[in-house]
Amino acid sequence: MYFVAEVHDKECAKYNCKQCVLFCPEPNCLNYKESGHTAWVWYDRCKGCEICVYVCSDLLKRNCIEMVMVKTGD
Amino acid sequence: MGLEYVKISPGFEKYMPRDYVDLVEYGQFGKELDVMQMGQFKELVEEHPMCAGCYMAYFIRVFYAALPKPEDTIVLGTAGCARLALSQAAVPFIYGNYGDTNAVASGLKRALSIRFPDKDKDVVVMAGDGGLMDIGFGMTMHSWFRREKFTTIMVDNEVYGNTGGQESGMSPKGIQLKMAPTGKKFDKINAVELAQTAGCVYVARISPTNPKRIAKVIRRAILAARKFGPTFIHAYTSCNIEYSIPTREVLADARQREKKDFKFYEWMTDEVKEYFNEIEKKAKEVKS
Repeated sequence: MYFVAEVHDKECAKYNCKQCVLFCPEPNCLNYKESGHTAWVWYDRCKGCEICVYVCSDLLKRNCIEMVMVKTGD
Repeated sequence: MGLEYVKISPGFEKYMPRDYVDLVEYGQFGKELDVMQMGQFKELVEEHPMCAGCYMAYFIRVFYAALPKPEDTIVLGTAGCARLALSQAAVPFIYGNYGDTNAVASGLKRALSIRFPDKDKDVVVMAGDGGLMDIGFGMTMHSWFRREKFTTIMVDNEVYGNTGGQESGMSPKGIQLKMAPTGKKFDKINAVELAQTAGCVYVARISPTNPKRIAKVIRRAILAARKFGPTFIHAYTSCNIEYSIPTREVLADARQREKKDFKFYEWMTDEVKEYFNEIEKKAKEVKS
């Protein structure tokens, strides 16, 4: 079990802001899908630091990212 | 070095690791990508063992995305946290002995300019506050005195993070750390002023709160180093472990420090300013 970020696609697609992608410290961990206008998380690369949650919820008040527990192999 | 070395020989595509194929097809080599497109292309730096929420790792990520010509760049590092991520990138990396990065870079830059007189080969030193301002202080200063044409970037986490938290010359006065329990008794070194006095042609101090600005500063430092002389960037990259910053608050801390002692500061000589004005004018003309 480990802690990773998860993006709510439908909520995220409303804003088209990309700010979480620009402030994530890990390379290619939070990516941006142009077709759906949403950010998406590459779970294997996420270290669970919550900086994206800070950007999305605390700074922008958009609440599109949540931390979740996943099992290895999910 | 060079684009030819990056490309995969025909017929070998299916035997190469997926990450490498992605790097060639969707990466930065040979393209002019903007740092604001991060997350939409394969980045030069791969997964690395730096701590969760480390903003030095973030600075390094933006640094690689901002390189003007990654296929013609060599990065030098030394012992310290930064080397953990620098060594995981698709750009040649040289790991010096502790403190000798700027001496190695001087020789390397001179050799490259003899071997490739008609090409721009960038040499960038990226090391921590310990490597550049404590242990490598003499070699750093002398490379500036000699006006060697390469970029020095100091990722300043204000502590020896790798070895348990000893104070460094860049730790703020009065700070108590795990291996400095009585508190630091001296002021933080003013690295920016030192660089200006020692002969750098472009000096900047930055806190990583704005990726566009970081990219601009890095590009400027590299471009100025190609033509004029040594350039220096002092970047605040907090150590969330030794300074006990909750990972969620790391960006907030960087924003706070930006308001206090890490205000954005940029200084350059007149000839460098003229050169940038020219370049920016040309870029605008091309756009319009």
